[in-house]
Amino acid sequence: MSLDFSFIWTAFVSLLTAVPTTLKITAVSVLCGFAIGTAIALCRMYRVPVLHRIAAAYVTVIRGTPMLTHLLILYFAIPLIVDGLAERFDWAIRSAQIPMIGFAYLSFSITAGAYLSEVVRSGLLAVSKGQMEAAHAVGMTTPQALRRIVFPQAFAAALPNLTNSVIGMLHGSTLAFTVSVVDINAQAEIVATTNWKFFEAYLAAALLFWGMTVLIERLSALLERRVTRYSRGGVA
Amino acid sequence: MIKLTGIRKAFGKNEVLKGIDLTVDKGEVVAILGPSGSGKTTLLRCINYLERPSDGEISIDEFAVNCRKPAKKDIHALRRKTAMVFQQYNLFRHKTALENVMEGLVIVKKLVKEEARRRSVELLEKVGLSDKLDAYPSQLSGGQQQRVGIARALALNPEVILFDEPTSALDPELVGEVLSVIRKIAKEGITMIIVTHEMGFAQEVANHIVFMEGGSIVEEGPPKNIFQSPREERTRQFLARFTSESSYSI
Repeated sequence: MSLDFSFIWTAFVSLLTAVPTTLKITAVSVLCGFAIGTAIALCRMYRVPVLHRIAAAYVTVIRGTPMLTHLLILYFAIPLIVDGLAERFDWAIRSAQIPMIGFAYLSFSITAGAYLSEVVRSGLLAVSKGQMEAAHAVGMTTPQALRRIVFPQAFAAALPNLTNSVIGMLHGSTLAFTVSVVDINAQAEIVATTNWKFFEAYLAAALLFWGMTVLIERLSALLERRVTRYSRGGVA
Repeated sequence: MIKLTGIRKAFGKNEVLKGIDLTVDKGEVVAILGPSGSGKTTLLRCINYLERPSDGEISIDEFAVNCRKPAKKDIHALRRKTAMVFQQYNLFRHKTALENVMEGLVIVKKLVKEEARRRSVELLEKVGLSDKLDAYPSQLSGGQQQRVGIARALALNPEVILFDEPTSALDPELVGEVLSVIRKIAKEGITMIIVTHEMGFAQEVANHIVFMEGGSIVEEGPPKNIFQSPREERTRQFLARFTSESSYSI
C-alpha cells in the first residue's frame, strides 16, 4: 500500500465543508464556557454563600470526568428529561426535534466552563489586590471596578491559558461525531468510506487541524500584544 | 470636619485598633506617627472602609456611618467623600497617567469626557507631569507614579485625602519630589491625613500630630508641643532619635 497524495488533497477539499461545523462547536463551547467559567470563578473568589460550594462541586465533577462521557450522558439524559417534562406539562416539543449539534453545544459548553473557570480564576488572581482597592478608593462600586479595572488586566494575564483552552476545545470538538454530528473528523471518515483510504483522509484532517491551530496561535499572539501593551515599559 | 468615634478593629483575636477617637477639622493637615504595627495604616484604611472597622462611628460633616451595621450605600458614599494615596501607588496598570486621573471623573463623577480630560490635564500639570500624560505606569519612575496617584486623588475633589506612607516605597532621591507636591496641596487648604515616617516633613507640613502605639492614640496636638515638649514618655522615646538627629545638624 502506498500513500495516495492526490487523495489527500481531494479529501482536504472535501473536509473544508465541515469546517463551519467544527468552528461553530468550538466557538459556542468556548464562549458559553467562558461565561460559565467567569461566573464560577467570581462565585468562588468572593465565596458567595451556597453558590461557591456548588461551583466547586461543578468544577471537580466536570474536570474529573472525560468530555466524551459528558456528551454521552447528556445524549441519553436530555431526551428522558425533555420528553418526560413535555408529557407532564403537555408541551408540543419532543427530544427528537433537538438538532444533534445542540447536544454538542450544551455538553462541550459545560465541559469548557469547568476548565475555563480555572483559567479565569488564575487571571483574576494575577491582578494585585491594590487595583481593586484603588478602584474602591476612587469611589467605584465592585461591579464597576471589576469591569473597568480588574477584568481587562485579568484577561491579559489569562490569555495564554485561554488560547490553550480554545485549542483544546477545537480538537475536542471531534468527539461530536459520536452523536452523529459531521465535523472535520467525521467528514474524513465519510470521504474515506468510498475508497477505504482512511490513512490519507485522516492525514488531511490532521493538516487542516494543524492549520487552524496555527491560525489561532497567531491571532492570540496578536491579541496578546495588544492587551499587554501597557506592561512593556520595562519596570514592574 | 471628620470625626472618628470609638473605632475598633480586630483581625481574629488580634485587636489592632482599641477604640480610636479623633477629630480632624476642615483644612487641617494631620500626620499620624508611630512605630510599625501601631495601627496607623489600619486606622487610615478604616476611614474609607478598605478595612471594615468592627465597631465605632465615622462621620464626615453631617454624614455618619455606624460601623456596627453599615449599609452598602453608606460605604460607597464614604468612599466618594474620601480619596487615598497608596504606599505602592496602585495606579491602574492598564491605563495611562491621564486615563488614571480621568477614570474616577468619568465613571464615578459622571463627567463628560472632554471636561474630565481638561481637569485631568490641569492636575497632571500641577504635579509636574504634563509631559507624561500618555505614559503607562510601567514607564514611570516611582516618584512619577506617586505624583499621578496624588493627581488621581485630587481629581475627585474629596473632603479629605488619605496618604498611606506615600514615600515609603521610594528611594531617597525621589522622596523630595513627592513631598514637595504634597506640601503644595497642603497649602491649598485641602484636609489631609498622612501616615508617615518622614518626621521632618510631618513637623513642617502638619498642623496636628497624632502619635499612636499599640492600637491607641498616645498623644496628639500641634507639632510644636509634640516635637518639643511631649507629655508622654513613650512619645519622647520615639521622637528622641529624630530630635537628637536634628540637633546634630544645627
